[in-house]
Amino acid sequence: MRQGLNRRSFLSSAATVAGAAAMAPLLSACGGGGGKHKAGANTEQGLKAALPAFVPNTAVPADIPGVSGGSNGAVTDPGFLTYPANPVATVSGVPGKGGSYTAVTPLWGTVPPAGNSFYAAMNKALGVSFEMKPADGNNYNTIIPTMTAAKKLPDWINLPAWWNSNFNTGGLADSQLADLTPYLAGDKIKKYPNLAALPTGAWQTGVWGDKLYGIPCFSTAMPLPGAVFYRRDLLEAKGITADQVKSADDLMNLGKELTDAKGGVWAFDDVWTYLSIAWGIPAKWILKDGKLVHKYEMPEFLEALDWHYKLATSGYLHPDAIAGNNADGGTRFYAGKTLIGGGGLGAWNLADHQSGIAANPAYRRGAFNIMTASGTGTPQIFMGSSSSMLSYLNAKLRPEQIEELLAVANYLAAPYGSAEYTLVNFGVEGVHYNRVNGVPTATEEGKKDVQATTFPFLAAPPSVISNPGGDQVTKDFTAWQAANVKTLYKPLFWNMNLSMPQTMATADSGQAVEDTIKDCYHGKKKVSDVQAAISTWKSNGGDRLKEWMTDNVLNKYGTGQ
Amino acid sequence: MSAARSERGGTGKLLNWRTRLRRDKSLLLMTVPAVVLLLVFNYAPLFGLVTAFQYYDPLVGVRDSEWAGLAQFQQLFNDPLFWGALRNTLWLSFVQLVLFFPVPVALALLLNTVLSERLRNFIQSVVYLPHFFSWVLAITIFQQMLGGAGILNHFLRQHDMQPWDITTNPHTFALLVTSQAVWKEAGWGIIVFLAALAAINSELYEAAAADGAGRWRRMWHITLPGLRGVIVLMLVLRLGNALSVGFEQFLIQREAVGHETADVLDTFSFYYGITNGNYSFGAAAGLFKSVISLLLIWGANKLAHAFGEDGLYRK
Repeated sequence: MRQGLNRRSFLSSAATVAGAAAMAPLLSACGGGGGKHKAGANTEQGLKAALPAFVPNTAVPADIPGVSGGSNGAVTDPGFLTYPANPVATVSGVPGKGGSYTAVTPLWGTVPPAGNSFYAAMNKALGVSFEMKPADGNNYNTIIPTMTAAKKLPDWINLPAWWNSNFNTGGLADSQLADLTPYLAGDKIKKYPNLAALPTGAWQTGVWGDKLYGIPCFSTAMPLPGAVFYRRDLLEAKGITADQVKSADDLMNLGKELTDAKGGVWAFDDVWTYLSIAWGIPAKWILKDGKLVHKYEMPEFLEALDWHYKLATSGYLHPDAIAGNNADGGTRFYAGKTLIGGGGLGAWNLADHQSGIAANPAYRRGAFNIMTASGTGTPQIFMGSSSSMLSYLNAKLRPEQIEELLAVANYLAAPYGSAEYTLVNFGVEGVHYNRVNGVPTATEEGKKDVQATTFPFLAAPPSVISNPGGDQVTKDFTAWQAANVKTLYKPLFWNMNLSMPQTMATADSGQAVEDTIKDCYHGKKKVSDVQAAISTWKSNGGDRLKEWMTDNVLNKYGTGQ
Repeated sequence: MSAARSERGGTGKLLNWRTRLRRDKSLLLMTVPAVVLLLVFNYAPLFGLVTAFQYYDPLVGVRDSEWAGLAQFQQLFNDPLFWGALRNTLWLSFVQLVLFFPVPVALALLLNTVLSERLRNFIQSVVYLPHFFSWVLAITIFQQMLGGAGILNHFLRQHDMQPWDITTNPHTFALLVTSQAVWKEAGWGIIVFLAALAAINSELYEAAAADGAGRWRRMWHITLPGLRGVIVLMLVLRLGNALSVGFEQFLIQREAVGHETADVLDTFSFYYGITNGNYSFGAAAGLFKSVISLLLIWGANKLAHAFGEDGLYRK
């Protein structure tokens, strides 16, 4: 979709995937049959014992500091308008002790030559000899299983968190991945200050069966699934501002006002995934009077569907969106053919800004605040997964090797703008990048060797918002996050890793219902058709799933909130 | 084939295999790469079918996955969506057989009557071209033309007429996909018929013309009988592939008309098997499809033989 994948657009696409994954089951429904999974969910006590302490890192102050959401534990991503002129070092000395290791990471791009100048510079700085083996990102899910099935994992490997629903990651942790609890639990992590600055929720996604295995790669303390975006430039030109739009009715009126089918403009692209949350729909489950209720069983769910069905049949939804052509959604938005559309927050970045102003120099992306459908009450949105990817060490490593690699991970997780971060993400000044107006800008060599991102897939600092050359984006996005940070809540079973037998996993994904829902918000199926699909789903496994979740998760491990 | 004849030739006895091996060794040697290719890419993966009887977990591999017996098939046959997908597949296959299959034959006959070689080459190139487009591109073109925001509807709206969205209408979906298939593949499909036409002895035409046969009589008595073997062969292959109506075409347009209309067996395996991580379930659906296809192709071949045609091989 994007040409010339650079690191930033690449990371944002990873973030988009993470957003989508956050909408998918938060529970890790592992493949496989009956009760063979040894590593399951975590007990409250066990989780507490395994999790590392959190020590914020203040080495590089942000231009726009993070804002705390208070009791929900969320903190907005800090914003940077300039890149620090003299990056500070956060790690003293060389972390490694000369060991040799292999590492496998996914790469969406051209594999850089082995032994290139960037790898050499990294190995020198890290004090270890790394053999980096980037594998094609698009086929990563078929490449890795051949290694795990043959029990031939590299020393260090990246496994995406959204795999958890398809693969038995828990079982793998139990048998082939190193238990990091003895090295990182509680205060032990303070030996690695940069790792200690990763959000606790992100570490939680790496805990299986009360033991810590995963090191979070792309973590955030603001795990928002997505938002309803709008063309701020075009709407403000019509005198419409975001704070005027407070309810679903307001949006429907906008649909009428903005749609000009004759002129080829429709107000809406698909919004269901992120707007339906305004009706109070959870990620999957809620607890009502001590009992589990699935979102399909909630009357609010049908109300939300009804509204979206009306939106489509009223003619406010772009015909290409109705035809399921999602790939061109960006193009429609840039061209002003659609003015409002839902999406993952990864879309709000520099690449988007550049694509937008190429189509219209006034282009400005905005997002509506999290709202309630009725316009009254407290708007709420559930948190997604706090880390989209995790890296794991091989269980065969000796303790001193694990310590060496954790020291390396600490180096890789150095905060944005630090000396270590600069090397890991931009390479060596004069060789891989030069400063242009203070912004590290890749040379040809840098584009080839450094921008083909490898090391951040092993460990990386928490996400920040920085768009050199697009300060407006940084200001808009940080301001929106700050305005909405209080609306986040921890959903039932948040960041809880657990294994599910396959029949349950199938019911959990509810594919047949989801397909009918899609047809409904595209105006092709009525709400009553969805109701029928839901009752089939209930009798074909939905009810059993609820029983299973109650017995095996809720009653054993609690709510995870 | 001439070798086959000479085997029986002369004395009418079969040569022993040793002699035949010695005689044909260079030919056999030449087929080795193709056979190896077939073994590696078509036969070795057959062992993966065992996953249809397992709760396959990619992270532990085929060997250590749990055994499921026939549980996946039980689930499959109890799934109304599976039967819906099968129904769609058969219906689309039937519509394409009736509306698509004759088109390349007719095109080949028409093209055969064009005398100017330059014109013929030009027409051939034009009708071949869409074959080299991907389905994504082909369907995008259709959407740009006929879709809700496409040229046709833009024109209708400009002139204050009701828009007519062909690409999202589930009732006419079979016609839509068939016309897409005709546009994309019919030109390519004429190649084999053109080859068969070229093989017809032109002296037959001359003799018939000399006897006073008109154009239609010549087509009926010379051209069509000459094509019959190839037409039957193509029909047999088509029937064997009746359950493979395509994948991308339906995957891309699934959302446009809804899953109930667009799901065929292959997209069913994909959505309800692979994307769910339920690989074994997908494998079971795939195995079911293969078994039925095998029966179909076997039956069609039998039928061809019964009518005295060659079918897939000469009896």
